[in-house]
Amino acid sequence: MSAVATAATPATPAIPERTPLTSSPVPVPADRRVVIENVSKFYGEVLGINNVNLSIPPGITGLVGPNGSGKTTLMNLLVGLIRPTRGSLRVLGIPTDNPEALFRLVGYSTQYDAFPPGLNGYQFIYSFLRIHGFAHAEADTMTWEAIARVNLTEAAGRKVAGYSKGMRQRIKLAQAISHRPSVLILDEPLNGLDPMARAEVIALFRELSEAGLHVIVSSHILHEVDLISDQVVLINGGYIVAEGEIGGVRDEMEEEHPVQVLIRCDRPSLLASKVFESDHVVEARIQDDGGLLVRTRSADRFYMLLNQVILETGLAVETVMPTDADVNAVYQYLIGEKS
Amino acid sequence: MAVYGRNYRRYAGELTPPWSRFLILPRYAYETVFQSKLFLIFFAVCFLVPFAGLLMIYLHHNLSALSFLNIPPEELKKFLPIGKSFFFRGTWLQGGLAFILVFLVGPALVAPDLRNNGLALYLSRPFSRTEYVLGKMSVLLILLSAITWVPGMLLFLFQSILEPSWLGKNLDLGLAILVGNGAWILFLSLMALAVSALVKWKPVARIALGVLFFVSIGFANALNEILSTWWGYLFSAWYVIGSIWASLFGIPVSADELPPPGAAWAALIGGSLLCLWLLSRRIRAYEVVR
Repeated sequence: MSAVATAATPATPAIPERTPLTSSPVPVPADRRVVIENVSKFYGEVLGINNVNLSIPPGITGLVGPNGSGKTTLMNLLVGLIRPTRGSLRVLGIPTDNPEALFRLVGYSTQYDAFPPGLNGYQFIYSFLRIHGFAHAEADTMTWEAIARVNLTEAAGRKVAGYSKGMRQRIKLAQAISHRPSVLILDEPLNGLDPMARAEVIALFRELSEAGLHVIVSSHILHEVDLISDQVVLINGGYIVAEGEIGGVRDEMEEEHPVQVLIRCDRPSLLASKVFESDHVVEARIQDDGGLLVRTRSADRFYMLLNQVILETGLAVETVMPTDADVNAVYQYLIGEKS
Repeated sequence: MAVYGRNYRRYAGELTPPWSRFLILPRYAYETVFQSKLFLIFFAVCFLVPFAGLLMIYLHHNLSALSFLNIPPEELKKFLPIGKSFFFRGTWLQGGLAFILVFLVGPALVAPDLRNNGLALYLSRPFSRTEYVLGKMSVLLILLSAITWVPGMLLFLFQSILEPSWLGKNLDLGLAILVGNGAWILFLSLMALAVSALVKWKPVARIALGVLFFVSIGFANALNEILSTWWGYLFSAWYVIGSIWASLFGIPVSADELPPPGAAWAALIGGSLLCLWLLSRRIRAYEVVR
């Protein structure tokens, strides 16, 4: 299931019906979810986030929104670094105002390049594990494990100050996972990574989420969020504007923003005439390159119709591709229009 | 549909006691501090006065070692008095060096963390703001202890061992060394952390500390001159602690030289509380936008 909050602007706050983010028919119990209930945060008179309700299951959750939308506020609330003005947050059943229990479960990486001066990669991870309460032997083992997972073993003895941007991102990720948390909260973790490192980090996210972790990632890089996320939360102006699996979110917007599907086939004009007879198709346009672009208010019904036309006419179809069903399009429709 | 195997296991072993975790902070701070040769030389210089004191106590009890001077032993003892003035002067000299040490080390403790938004790194652990302040403060407290009350107490014990009857008459001196130095190093540490947290920029924090210390001495004197009063002294930490030391060691001072001990204690406690309040306002994972 997914939810799209319509007319969710700061001026006219809407409180949409929320549904859980998971699509699994087997409900995930609350003590295995990150639950945010009616949470608002105001900095004096400035709105951070308002009336947020989320229930996040395991897997990778992408938190997407423009600058100042409230992503970092939401993340800081989740890790208990700031307290909500209203509402409550529980991470796997633990209230966020219980740091001793919470930070056993949560690994957090900020968007800032903040490293204590003079430390090398190993010391950076090791010292924070000691602050966590691990004795020398455990901290040493866990440090090397975490460093190996982000492929920085060879650079572990070098000062962090001399690391490249990508290496700094990876060492930050290593400190977030080093104490073996169950929930990873990562603020812009893909910034500055080269394509190779990005692929490695995304693979690591996948590996961790498949092992049962919650990985909550904020990012501006929409196609990567689309690529890695099991579910997304779109946030703008402190309000959640959509949540859920990206396909589900897109389905909910079909009425207002018909889905675009590009079909490459041998007889596009025939296909155009056939599909245009259906009431859910609002536009069928043959493009210069011969492709047929169809806009429909019901993607499911359109695909049924397409199958039927193919069977009836023997149409040779080369490609069927939705062109605006990704998080980028959803983001543009929900947030781009407002901004 | 995603199926999550949940084969990931959290660490379930023993942990170190929470009270000991703040001590991780000084460990790495010392590595940085002692990398500076200038600081190493200064730190060595800080032990010259206690060493001279040690020598004086030894000679006081072994006057035969000075027989080559051809001065009667009773006369020599007058030049080497071991009493309240001896320990007061030692405390005064080491107290001045303590400020220089704080001036060198203090600004680098909190300012870089605040400047780089690094506090979230510490506070997203089972580690509180109080533990963070304690950890950073312990960097200074341990270094300052090493040059103030620890050598002071060692000299006191050395003298007591060499002259057991002296100990009974001068027990209050031991207390004065502990309380006088303890109050001073606690205040200096709090002031350094508060300034470092307030200014956020290391060089400016250093200048601010210097201004607070030296300019306040001049300001105190000017205020007293202009208003013909003594309470201007309360604006200077040096005069305030001087009054406290004098009263603890039983050194007579005139009202024109230093503020009354009661007012001095009140000023020192007030200043410390102000520093604590500033720290509680500034040591936050994220700044509050207003």
